[in-house]
Amino acid sequence: MMNSRHAALEFIILCFNFFTMKNLLPFLLLALVFGGCQKDELPSAKYSFVKPAHFPEPVYPLDRNPVTKEGFELGKKIFGDPILSRDGSVACNNCHVKGVAFADPQHPFSIGVDEREGLRNAPGIANMAFMKEFMWDGGVHHLDFAPPNAIENPLEMDEKMTHVLWKMNQHGSYPALFRKAFPDMGDTITSPYLLFALSQYQNMLVSATSKYDHYKLGDANLTANELEGLALFEQKCAACHSGILFTNQEYRNNGLDSEFADLGRGKITESPDDMGCFKVPSLRNVELTKPYMHNARFKTLEEVLDHYASGVKPSATLADELQQNGTLGIPLTPTEKARIIDFLKTLTDHEFIQDTRF
Amino acid sequence: MKKFLLLTALFGALFLSACKDEEEAKDPGTFAITFDNMALINNVQQQLSLTTAGNTDYPYTNEMGQQFNITLLRYYISAIELDGPNGEHFHDHMEATAAGAKGYYLVDESKPASQEILLTDVPAGTYNKITFTVGVDSSGIVDGAAGGNLDPATCNMFWNWNSGYIAVKFEGQSPVSNGGVGGTETIAGTDPNGMAYHVGGWKNIPGGVFVYNNKRLSYTFDTNAKVESKLEPELHMVFDVQKLFGGHHAIDFTGNHNVHKPADGVDVANNLEHAFAYDHIHQ
Ligand code: HEC
Ligand code: HEC
Repeated sequence: MMNSRHAALEFIILCFNFFTMKNLLPFLLLALVFGGCQKDELPSAKYSFVKPAHFPEPVYPLDRNPVTKEGFELGKKIFGDPILSRDGSVACNNCHVKGVAFADPQHPFSIGVDEREGLRNAPGIANMAFMKEFMWDGGVHHLDFAPPNAIENPLEMDEKMTHVLWKMNQHGSYPALFRKAFPDMGDTITSPYLLFALSQYQNMLVSATSKYDHYKLGDANLTANELEGLALFEQKCAACHSGILFTNQEYRNNGLDSEFADLGRGKITESPDDMGCFKVPSLRNVELTKPYMHNARFKTLEEVLDHYASGVKPSATLADELQQNGTLGIPLTPTEKARIIDFLKTLTDHEFIQDTRF
Repeated sequence: MKKFLLLTALFGALFLSACKDEEEAKDPGTFAITFDNMALINNVQQQLSLTTAGNTDYPYTNEMGQQFNITLLRYYISAIELDGPNGEHFHDHMEATAAGAKGYYLVDESKPASQEILLTDVPAGTYNKITFTVGVDSSGIVDGAAGGNLDPATCNMFWNWNSGYIAVKFEGQSPVSNGGVGGTETIAGTDPNGMAYHVGGWKNIPGGVFVYNNKRLSYTFDTNAKVESKLEPELHMVFDVQKLFGGHHAIDFTGNHNVHKPADGVDVANNLEHAFAYDHIHQ
């Protein structure tokens, strides 16, 4: 008893001695130095997921696959590596190009190996962390499961996941990069880690610094025309292209066709009510992501606005918003169309497409 | 001296309580389950034998009298629970992470080891009922990619286009089928007699439009299985392939024999209850 009490006393005295001013000084200095650095972002913060203040909570379970610098860099490397395709000719960024917000700048329908033409237009990949479902028909319920659709699609990469993994396991640098990014992974690269790396990269592709965002956050002004466009947009378009992501993430038929070459959502739910319905796309960076619609029907925003004003086709599943009071479409004057387009261009995020991390 | 007495008393109490515990609650044990894939031939139940595409021997007959053979049979069993007459209860541990999957078993006719499931840490007691899910429910898929039996690259049970796991995958041939199947592992589209039944659909949303084809099934045993540390009870379940095509709804091989989406798999899924059956227990 006596002994232990003595030891405790000794420890307290020791601590007291240590934290005299003389010993504290270097610590204080160190703290100052680090505190000073915080003005520029810490290197680690640049590579972790940060939710923009004016955005909703992410849908992706980031606690299950948190973004790390190593995982992000690995995902970026894979995204740009044609090793994912059968003949080493097609990478993810063939069809998802950074300069156009990760959409396809050239092809109405995407082009895969052997110049095979796909069935739909490649959408931009931004703000994926906030999306509930993926693809024009929402057939993919989780971002992790998006890549196999491209890799194993005969019209896109025409490869097998198992063969991609085999190639990566033989590769000069991938095994070490995977082990660094995922310390809990065993010796062999397996598909969940490949998918995790790609999701880490894609989760970081957050577009939240457009002119409109700066306006929302109070550090930029919109022009009178843009403000007019915003008001018209909120009145005529925001029922579907709603919120800060400019999509309610529902599946609607916006009247492109009366008969459906592509069943869209109907293929997934197998419900007659969903035939010819497609995911309401986000309109962020829409100025860059032409052509428009799942089937690349329109080349310009002017054509899109003309469609809503006078091109909407009737069908059993046509959205109610597009057939109010017995008239098809959304009434829009030429000036109103122009103002809405002025507004849509404020959604272009130059900081995003110039971000050197991506 | 006082201290010494106190210590002895304490240790004594500890020792006694340890002994008492051992007497009352027995240590948990294991519980083995074997899935025997069977079919009747001349009214005798026999183990299945798989064949390869192009073979024109058709050893099996469905409820409609149509002959067939089998080139692939694979299904998921998950979320196993055991119950006993005295309130015994065991729920298999479930986990789906990148490092692996626990509680999701992929029974494959071509891999005998996959037909034997060993449950561990089952509380001691008697059990007379098993419940399991055929397929992979949302807990195994909503959160994203996982490894082990759920690895989408290697399980060969994953739908990319409508992300989720196929619950039951059957491929084979029948002389009455007119072939032309796609998206298969063992049968070519050119096979004039090919058949594919890929039964999936996991989104179980009340009032929703999705077709849910996973099945939660329960079977009771005619004898109690006794579990404790030194015992090794083994349950034999039977999966009767002919009842996969009958029982609830007779499947006509001249009809849709190229099943690749939830709505087309409903009839086969409804037959699962009859295809599985309790057979016997080795104690
Ligand atoms: C050949 C062109 C092509 C390649 C290569 C390609 N994609 Fe795509 N991507 C598309 C098309 C087309 C769609 C829309 C498909 C659909 O809706 O059915 C799409 C959709 C997506 C989506 C869903 C976007 C959304 O808003 O719903 C994600 C995520 C995605 N791709 C990621 C990837 C990744 C990761 C890779 C590389 C593994 C990749 N893509 C390779 C063409 C491509
Ligand atoms: C009823 C819901 C609804 C309303 C209202 C609506 N949209 Fe859409 N919008 C959609 C859907 C659904 C799509 C995708 C359709 C497809 O590809 O089949 C779409 C696609 C678009 C696209 C193409 C985006 C791309 O990346 O391809 C643009 C641009 C667009 N809408 C602008 C507008 C504007 C501007 C308005 C208002 C005048 C508007 N929308 C009103 C549902 C709606």
